[in-house]
Amino acid sequence: MAWFGLHFLLIISFSLRDTLWLVTHGPTIFPSSFKSYSQKAEGVVSALLGQRLAASNPVRQALATYLHIAGIETGYGYFAPNVPGSYKLVFELHYPDGRIEYELPRVNSTAAGLRVAGLLDKIGRTPYDALRELLVKTLAQSIWRQHPEVKTIRAVFGATKLPSLSEFEHGKRESYDFLYAYDFSLREEPAEPEVVK
Amino acid sequence: MQALKKRLSEFLFPTESDAWLSILRIGLGFQITLYALSLRNDWNYLFAGAGGGLVNRDLAEALLSIESRFAPRLGWLVAVGAQVGLREETVLSILWICLLVAGCGLMAGIFSRTCAILAWFLHLCAAKSGGFTSYGVDNFMTIGLFYLMLSPLPDRYSLDWQFLKSQPEDSPFLGFWRRVLQLHLCATYFFSGLTKCLGSGWWDGSNIWRSLIRPPFNVIDPEMLVRWNYLFPVAGVLICLLEIGYPFFIWSDKTRKIWLICICVMHVSIGLTMGMYLFALIMIILNVAAFGPGLLFCKTELTRFQRTQPAIID
Repeated sequence: MAWFGLHFLLIISFSLRDTLWLVTHGPTIFPSSFKSYSQKAEGVVSALLGQRLAASNPVRQALATYLHIAGIETGYGYFAPNVPGSYKLVFELHYPDGRIEYELPRVNSTAAGLRVAGLLDKIGRTPYDALRELLVKTLAQSIWRQHPEVKTIRAVFGATKLPSLSEFEHGKRESYDFLYAYDFSLREEPAEPEVVK
Repeated sequence: MQALKKRLSEFLFPTESDAWLSILRIGLGFQITLYALSLRNDWNYLFAGAGGGLVNRDLAEALLSIESRFAPRLGWLVAVGAQVGLREETVLSILWICLLVAGCGLMAGIFSRTCAILAWFLHLCAAKSGGFTSYGVDNFMTIGLFYLMLSPLPDRYSLDWQFLKSQPEDSPFLGFWRRVLQLHLCATYFFSGLTKCLGSGWWDGSNIWRSLIRPPFNVIDPEMLVRWNYLFPVAGVLICLLEIGYPFFIWSDKTRKIWLICICVMHVSIGLTMGMYLFALIMIILNVAAFGPGLLFCKTELTRFQRTQPAIID
């Protein structure tokens, strides 16, 4: 009975925290004045869940382990409150003879394709520039293994802009906004990011 | 207080048939098998470590370690394999085979508990080590497998039951674990519906349109979708109402059947129109296991517990 109580307290608390986070950060039907209240409430819930403790704290570690093994570490706000746009990553392969080819991150199945799309969403949404660059770099390395003769790779990361229904009816189609570009060469040099926000 | 405790106990530990457990076991076995088969050509590429795969597995595991050092991961098993001289590729291939075998074992009901634990552990390792590439389907598979491995297996439709005659005596827990699954689904749909209701796009149908044209879910040609545009606001509002109303209408005998059917139709539609077959399947399996027996199928009046009791003759 105690396990049952704790288990559901965690499920509801994490779902509540994620809901409050969405109210704080996303455009919702609530007025913007509501955001400060939801931010405070989210902070309280996070603190109660031990999320404000140091990452190495044993209580936080034990709780995180249980959440992961039970599959309840996230809330359930799929495609909510609104459906976000998606992201696209294109690799520009520069060959020693001056030839340029274009490549996308490739997998063999539709199921893995959905996972790659999720990966691009995570790259696009991460607030950490270093992590974004590292992830793009590892993807560039996978392309390099398939094209070992390539001299340099330019990775261009963009956001997909989806037309609204009425825009589509008036002829507008999907477009892309340039977000970041990284240049990689075979030498062990840090990438040179070109960023447009 | 005593009366409340008694009512709570009766609610949490109802006398229950194991039909729901059979559906959950066979369904999750099928899901795991499909999951493994769908990733067969990309398994090593998705989960390889430094210098071998799409994304460096070591990076995902390092980030996981910040949150939890004890969450299972493929790196542990690769390290064990390295101790006995196995290469990373070989270990990953063996793990894929083990996952497939566990899925088939669950479907057949052979060594049900062992297969449930193995499937939960291996899938969890893959989901955590592939953290950057995992999504909702992995969460729900973990949830389902977690409850399955803790439930009183084997069920009467398993081969374990047929051949080994190993009949457990813990029938009260059959009802308990079904209740846990039911309540978890109620929480899931309520919060999913609540967060959708917060966005204006679900009320005017624009989010339905965006979901259907958003790569990689753009399975249907937008030119064809435009012809059905009047349905989008209706579908958006229906999804919000179905999800947020789930914990209120799924318990009543009068509304359970229609709610369950509507939720399953919603997931079938998501699977067909957005190409999210595995996600649709896991949600249907969990829903049908939780609320289907006795409703969509013939009601099994006798519980396993009752069948194993000796008859009392006055």
